[in-house]
Order: sequence, then structure tokens, then C-alpha cells
Amino acid sequence: MLDADVEVDRREFTVRAALKVAPGERLALFGPSGAGKTTLLETIAGLVQPRRGLISVNGQVLTSTDPPVRAVPPWQRRVGLLRQNPGLFPHLSVRDNLCYAPSAPRSGTELSSLASELGIGDLLSAMPARLSGGQAHRVAIGRLLLARCDALLLDEPYTGLDVSLRRTLTGLVSTLVSERSMPAVLVTHELEDAQAFADRLAVLDHGELLQVGTPNEVVLRPASRRVAELIGYLGFVPVGDAQAGIHPERVVAGAQAARGLVLTGAITACRPAGAGWEADLRVGESAITCRLADKPLKSADEFVVTVLDPPYFGPDGLVLPDAPVAGAGHQGARSGL
Amino acid sequence: MAGAAVIWLALLGPVIALLTHLSGSTIASALTSPGALDPVVVSLESGLVTLGVLALICTPLAWMLARGRLPFPRVWETGVLLSLLLPPLVLGLLLIFFVGPYTPVGQVLTWLHQSATNTFLALVIAEVYESAPYYVLGAQAAFASVEPRLEEQAGLLGDRPRRVFRRVTLPLAAPGLAMALSIAWARAMGAFGAVIIIAYHPYGIPLEIYTTLQETGLASALPYALVLLVVALPLPLAAYIWSARAGRRRRG
Repeated sequence: MLDADVEVDRREFTVRAALKVAPGERLALFGPSGAGKTTLLETIAGLVQPRRGLISVNGQVLTSTDPPVRAVPPWQRRVGLLRQNPGLFPHLSVRDNLCYAPSAPRSGTELSSLASELGIGDLLSAMPARLSGGQAHRVAIGRLLLARCDALLLDEPYTGLDVSLRRTLTGLVSTLVSERSMPAVLVTHELEDAQAFADRLAVLDHGELLQVGTPNEVVLRPASRRVAELIGYLGFVPVGDAQAGIHPERVVAGAQAARGLVLTGAITACRPAGAGWEADLRVGESAITCRLADKPLKSADEFVVTVLDPPYFGPDGLVLPDAPVAGAGHQGARSGL
Repeated sequence: MAGAAVIWLALLGPVIALLTHLSGSTIASALTSPGALDPVVVSLESGLVTLGVLALICTPLAWMLARGRLPFPRVWETGVLLSLLLPPLVLGLLLIFFVGPYTPVGQVLTWLHQSATNTFLALVIAEVYESAPYYVLGAQAAFASVEPRLEEQAGLLGDRPRRVFRRVTLPLAAPGLAMALSIAWARAMGAFGAVIIIAYHPYGIPLEIYTTLQETGLASALPYALVLLVVALPLPLAAYIWSARAGRRRRG
């Protein structure tokens, strides 16, 4: 179990977060650039000293600012950190990189079986300069696993790699940490990476932890309008006193009142997106964007869409437990729930 | 290619001139006289001691400068540059004020039955002062080229800072350090300005060239210049070859 409850001062703001990650659990820390995600990981790894806080892994206290004060140095923490740059030692072969940690086995079945599981079995005598980006990441992951870390921290490790490689590596790490019952934290600003990796998703913005939940919970029921904006809700339509959050991918053409909120608006722009189409709609005063399977008629002034089960946010910006009563609000909006 | 050759030959001009002005018989007669090779031994010994001193005391300073471990880093760097800018002759004159017999340092040396004037110690001191700034700046650049994230990663994998230095920092900086030592070696072997002021004795090769020139003329002084080149070359050459090999090994 990785348990961190810290306050870390940064120049512009203070990062405040409390996280618990169970053995074998995978938590994704999602947020925009500069939200304090990396600071949080570096604090857990012992590279940054928190102003206040308690960090423990498997019951062993690594940092405590309350008496008895403790600050275990990074080299005694057994916390693995993988960054975007895999950080392989250029003067050592792949084998020597894998076995770098003093606690790592120099040879034997563990090394060879992990190397083949990672798909780098025939690269052991190669030098890092010869490896591709994906191979270098595999070696870096293997090196952390052979170091027998108690927790794994991944700081946007796959930025710059292509999507399919990212998926493969994410899947690989997920399997490996589950097999070893390690708590793992992935920092990312790509929601899809977070969803592909995590059992739980934590949203961090400006140093504050806004929401922690399963990826589905966070995506479909963002706790606040700010979380919704970060997750990718591109439009907000007033319904009574509340605002319905519109995610472009949660919109279907046509009126299906039983499935959500039916909106009527004028199409202002339309462009190909992925295998379908993306259209901008003006609904009363609000602009929304939706992803549609079929190309809508651009001239349609009265285009009807259904927003599937949207979250509603109250005047305070927080999500409402239920959909507001229909009718009182926007002319174009009709709550279907 | 042709341009490079022209520049290369122009740089080698003095060496070519040296070779064309030497004949086998003058070399033989100059180097076979009794005690003729003593300056070679003195130069090699003092040069090696100088390198040892530099590696031991200036390497940690260079590392701290490269890693920003010192407060007001510009002040420290300016200090190194100041010592680099001092003309060797001026440096020698100032060393008299610093380590001469009537200074506090000189008195400590006297108490230890040592002297920093016209002794082997004085020669080493002069060579250290003439070459140290070159080594510090070179070594600083060598350490700065080592990615701090690699040191951080080594620490996270369980290495204490000393072990990180030995297993990551030093091997990665080694080619650059070897080049810095080569330059320091060249400075030490050729040290003259400070040496002639505080260490007229024992003669190393540069002073031997100077005194021979004064006493018997250019013809008998020049062979020592060739000797200087021959004995000073192997170490930097080895460093070059070794650095290139290390680079090739890293590229796989």
C-alpha cells in the first residue's frame, strides 16, 4: 500500500494531495501541464521535500514532517520512478542496465524470463544507443522491476511514442505490476493513457486534487465543472439553474428523450474527425461540439441531437445528483430524464 | 579537405621548422653529454605529480561547479577565470608573495623543513598554478555533460551518492576528464613563466632549453624542444585514443 498525504510548496501554489494506492492497484494522476503532478511523484520518490506530510509504502514511513520526523533518502526508498526519458546508462549494456540496482540479480532465470516477457531477450548485450524508443522504455521498466521496488511511479513515460506502442507498453506495465502486487501511479495529461492504464483516476489541477474515482465515474460524472472541462467536456448548456456538460463523444443525432438531453441547434461548422464527423452547434447562447457517425447537413438550422445522460452542474459549479426539472430553462433544451 | 590541410600545416609550422633545423648529429651530441637527460626526468616527475594533485583537489571542485552545489556560482567561476588570465610570469612573481620564504605559507613550509623556492616542490607548485585553471574548466565541462537525471535514476535504483559518482558520473565524464588532464599535462610540461621565477632549479625541459640557449646557442637548445614533444605526447595521445574508443563503445 502506497499512502501519501502531503503539502508541497511550489513557486506559484501549494500542491495538496492525499492518495492511497493498494498493492497491485494502478492509479492515474491526470491533469493539465503544470498542475503539480510531477511534483507529487517527486515528493513520493524523495526528490522533493514536502512542507508537511506523511508518506509510507507497505507500512514503512518514508517521509514524516510530524514527530518522529523522517526523510528516508531516495536511494533507500525502493520507489521506482520512470520518466519520459528512460534514463538508461549509456556506458552500460542492456544487461548491465537491467542489473544496475545493487539488489538486482546479476543473472539467472528471473533476468532472462523478465527480459523475454519484455521482448528484449535478444538485446541483452546491445548498448542503449542502439535501441529504439520503445525498446529503451522496456529496458527501463525491466530495470525498475529487477530493482524490486515496492512502488512504481511513471511520470508521463510514453510522451512522444506512437499510440500503438503506448498501448502495448501500458498493457505490459499493467500486467507486470498486477503480477507483482505493486502499487503503481501513472502521471499523464492524456486521458486515454490514463483510462488504458488505471483502476482509479485522480484529477489534479493547480495543486488541488479535484476528484478521485474509477475512470468511468470521473469521465461520466465529473465532480465539478472544472473537472468536466479537463476531461474534455467542450460545451455547457443551461438547463434551469443548472448547466448540462456536453462531451463531444456523448452526443448522438436525433431525438432520443429516454437516453438523455435533447437539444436543437444550428450547425455552424462541420469537419471530418476520426472515422466520423465533428460538428459545432449553436444552441441558443451556447456553443457545443459533437462527434457524429454520419455527416450532418451543413445547412440544417434545426439539427436535433441527444446528449447521452449528461452531468449537470449547479450554480456553484459542483455536479448535481439528479437532472434538474425540465422546462424552466433554455428554449432549445429539454431534459429527457 | 584542402582547406583543413592548409590550416593543419600552418598550425604545425613551428614543429616543421624545428624538424628541419635539427640533424641527427646535433641531437646525439646534445643528448649524450653527461646529465643531459636529467631535465627530462625532472619534467616527467613534476608533471605526473602535478596531474595527481590536480586530479585529487580540483576534480571535486569542478564537480561542485558543474552541479551548481556552490552558492554564488558566478563568483567561483570568476575566481577560476582570474587565475586563468594571469600571465605565467606575473603568476610566478605573485607566488613569491604567496609561498616565498617570508610569507606565512613559506614559514609553515620552513617549519616542515621544506621550501617553495628553487626546489622540486616549487616546480610542482608553479606547474600546478599554471595548469589548474585549464583542468578545472575542462573537468567542469566534462561533469556538466553528464545528464543529472542519470545520477538521479542511479540514486532511485538504490545507489548512495558516492556510489553514483563512481558508477555513473565518473565513467560518463571520464573521456572529458581525460582531455582536461591532457591539456593540464601540456601546460605543466611546458610551464616556464612561473617556473623561472620560483623554481630556477631543478631544471625541467623548458628551463633547460632556455639556459642552453643562453649559454651555448640555439643549435644545442633545439634538441630539447624535440625531446619535450616526444616525452609529452604519449599521455595526451593515449587519452585521445581512449576517449574515442569509449565513444565508439557507447554508440554500440
